[in-house]
Amino acid sequence: MRIFISGGCKNGKSTLAKQLAISQNTGAGLYYVATMIPTGEDDVRRIARHRADREGDGFTTIEHPRNISRLLSVYPADGSFLVDSLTALMQNEMFRADFHDRDAYRRVIPQLTRVLDAFENIVIVSDFIYADAQRYDALTERYRESLAHIDRAVAAQCDTVIEVAYSCITVHKGELIT
Amino acid sequence: MKLIIGGAYQGKLDYALSRFELHKSDVYSCKETTMTIHTKKPIIYGFDQWILALVRAEFNVQTEVDKLLPKLADKIIISTDISAGVVPLDSIIRAWREEVGRATVKLAQNADEVVRLFVGIPTRLK
Repeated sequence: MRIFISGGCKNGKSTLAKQLAISQNTGAGLYYVATMIPTGEDDVRRIARHRADREGDGFTTIEHPRNISRLLSVYPADGSFLVDSLTALMQNEMFRADFHDRDAYRRVIPQLTRVLDAFENIVIVSDFIYADAQRYDALTERYRESLAHIDRAVAAQCDTVIEVAYSCITVHKGELIT
Repeated sequence: MKLIIGGAYQGKLDYALSRFELHKSDVYSCKETTMTIHTKKPIIYGFDQWILALVRAEFNVQTEVDKLLPKLADKIIISTDISAGVVPLDSIIRAWREEVGRATVKLAQNADEVVRLFVGIPTRLK
């Protein structure tokens, strides 16, 4: 199944996503698509720790902070994939060291569409950052809007859409078969 | 009254236009300077923005909401949920957030249907 998961931070999205990806593994390979770019030594250590944890769960880590469509043709179509997260992917695609691509989502959506077309067993995680009263600068607001665009495109293509709130699950679309 | 809520960019307006077979010309859009909502068009968009205008102008928000309610019986109201973040430092934004909460509860209590959008997907709450 193609499964989209969103919700607040530290609410249990990644834990659920890992369980679902493991349960969808047919034996053709279990892949964790890492999207974070470390910004300091703390990050490097945290990423190494998470990676070791996942290896214990049987995941192979693929580093793809940008250009997610590079997954295509390299990995088996019947593998089980976990992409965590669209939040980081959108950030990396939009904010480069030397420029900001305000229209990055227009490039990213077709890439994600192709990835979802190719891989049937995939879990994609994002973050719900849309219900606060904070007023952001124009670029941050553009980032929120862009992430929402890719969330909605992915959710539309997924079989199942789940909201996680403090480990509680709401299924907004499809069914959750575990 | 139909009330459509959800976070920013979740597809509230797209949903309303598609479900009720309406067009952008059927939408009255509130800005953060809108002091009076005109109720000629079937969809009233940005209810939360109107509340911000009232807060800034130091109106009694709930009195204004009560006055408006009878005119909303056959309307589709769209409001953005701003209730789920950290308490804002700015006192105006803090008051806005609370007044939108109170006002949206009133709308929901008076609505025959409340729909929440989440990544483009509607869920009927009432």
